[in-house]
Amino acid sequence: MQGIILFAVLASTYLMLIAKRMPALIRSFRYQSFCLFLATLLIALSERQLDLYIISGLLFILKVLLIPQLLYRILRRTNTKEDLGLFINPQLSLLLALVFSYLSWIFAAHLVTPVKEIQISILAVTFFIILAGIFLMIFRMTALAQITGLLVMENGLFLLASAVSGGMPFFVEIAIFFDVFMSVLIMGFFVYKISKLFTHIDVNKLSRLRG
Amino acid sequence: MQIFIILGIPIFLSLGAFIFGKKRFFGIINCSGYLAILCCSLILFKETVFTGKTKEFFGFIYLDALSAFFILVISVVAFAAALYSIGYIRKDIQRGVITESKARVYYLFFNLFCLSMFFVPALDNLGMLWVAVEMTTLISAFLVGFYNSKESVEAAWKYIIICSVGIIFALLGTILFSYAFSISGLTKSLNWSEITPVAHILDKNILKVAFIFILVGYGTKAGLAPMHTWLPDAHSQAVAPISALLSGVLLKTAIYAILRFGIIIIKSVGFAYFAHLMILFGAISLVISSGFILVQKDLKRLLAYSSIEHIGIIAIGFGLGSPLAIAGALLHIFNHAVTKSLMFFGAGNIVSAYKKHNMHAIRGVIKALPFTGMMLLLGCFALTGFPPFSIFISEIMIIIAAFTNGAYFIGALLLLLLAVIFGAFIYHFGRMLFGNLPKSMSAAGEPFSGKLAFLFLLFLICALGISLPFMNKDTLWIFQQLLHG
Repeated sequence: MQGIILFAVLASTYLMLIAKRMPALIRSFRYQSFCLFLATLLIALSERQLDLYIISGLLFILKVLLIPQLLYRILRRTNTKEDLGLFINPQLSLLLALVFSYLSWIFAAHLVTPVKEIQISILAVTFFIILAGIFLMIFRMTALAQITGLLVMENGLFLLASAVSGGMPFFVEIAIFFDVFMSVLIMGFFVYKISKLFTHIDVNKLSRLRG
Repeated sequence: MQIFIILGIPIFLSLGAFIFGKKRFFGIINCSGYLAILCCSLILFKETVFTGKTKEFFGFIYLDALSAFFILVISVVAFAAALYSIGYIRKDIQRGVITESKARVYYLFFNLFCLSMFFVPALDNLGMLWVAVEMTTLISAFLVGFYNSKESVEAAWKYIIICSVGIIFALLGTILFSYAFSISGLTKSLNWSEITPVAHILDKNILKVAFIFILVGYGTKAGLAPMHTWLPDAHSQAVAPISALLSGVLLKTAIYAILRFGIIIIKSVGFAYFAHLMILFGAISLVISSGFILVQKDLKRLLAYSSIEHIGIIAIGFGLGSPLAIAGALLHIFNHAVTKSLMFFGAGNIVSAYKKHNMHAIRGVIKALPFTGMMLLLGCFALTGFPPFSIFISEIMIIIAAFTNGAYFIGALLLLLLAVIFGAFIYHFGRMLFGNLPKSMSAAGEPFSGKLAFLFLLFLICALGISLPFMNKDTLWIFQQLLHG
């Protein structure tokens, strides 16, 4: 079961990397978050801890329902083009994604010395998700895509935390959720401001401050 | 007990700002609140540093000499910034740059920002530490984008995005630390006070990787090159008192986070690993910033790059690791915070009088703003490490430590780059401060509260430059113990 969910997470991340338009990116982000929710719910069911139920519930509410909805809303309100402003086209992105997956596998295998297959695959997937997030932030030029990239990285970290150390302490986890939600709200606020002042949200064209 | 007053006052003040923020007297209330915080943190400093005691509350707050020192630095700069804000914000309202309800927003975020910074050194849990550092970014982004111009919104966006990505790496590092702790077979915890005593049994391989992530993550926030790119933008666009807070203490809170993890690393992997990384990043910061300082045109960006330079010096100081170097680095944290705040206040006065940042277009500051000009002249010498002022003492401590440790190359590099930066600063400020006044300008008065803030900071700069009241052999060893245990 774990393997299937890991595969689904991986697939949704690949979908994000080849997405050309913003709604597709947000939809894939929703899939990814939903897979994470399933994973935590499974752990919660097997361990029967109240903390884990609460965390998976919060994950569902925030990352599957609220945050994607918020992103859609910003997208509609800013009235900008839905293109992501690709620096690298989908085919090349896909190739790079394959390279990333391989690299993160090697890194994970290097990090865990007593070789356990499932641990290594979880680590490899999380590192891949983090790399994918960085990739989205660097090579997609709209402000909204950058927010999504950040959220993807955060998802990767969440998976890592729950996989390797059995999750962070409960109240830290809650605080981090709160923090992520706040940061999306605040970044969304700045996206509004950028679109109002500059009439676009292409961060590549933000170049007034240099040197 | 004092810590609850320190954390409580900003909460009440931010509530107060929400209700009375539009009123003129609120600035004074705000400032007196920070005076109270300053007194409390002095008491806290006295209690923890001289006795070496640690304090714990509810397994949530943990205070030792290091935390008390950082809380003191934050409260000094926060007090000065609150004092300076009174006149600065009132003037902005009078000139019509901001409305009165915007002043309310300013005071609200000012207090929330200070609150989040006070939390950073007080927390025991490394995960909560991360949350607090991220909170400082999110809140201060509003203060960077405060003026709503194209430049300031761009700066705020870059600031929030680059720092958030950086800090995500720090979270990755934190998770790896907790992983190392959990596979050692001990009970699950992220409390620093519980991890440190058992640091030597943790998996060294994982800790090494984790510390790289920590250093890159919090290093982004601290402004270590090459992750510094947000810093000049944010510092140059923020409201002047906030620039002082950003440069003076926000960067230092990130250094604090690095030190906390560094102590675990030193106990587990050994000092050399920590030292090499810190010296490497410190040296890169120094080299890059000195280049940008030489060719800089924008006044506030000049000061921002100077912050990167000083962060580099601090990192080198901690990397050298002898008692003298650590004392020098800690002292430098304080000295840089007060000196740089003074410079940013001065730059704020210049920018609001001349309405431009470009140093080539600013002339005759001493004639236009006699008091500010004088203070900036003194501050410029203080910042570049001229003898009667405090930065000279801390820099010479670090340089002596470099040579006595046998790190001749680092010592020579420091001396060379400091000389270059000294030349560049004297050149830039000499042209700005002296020369003929533009015809459209005349000498203007300055608000009393602003002057008080300058005098308060100048007093600290001179006092620590002339005598080191807290520095004797015992305290040197306390500093040594902080890092090496």
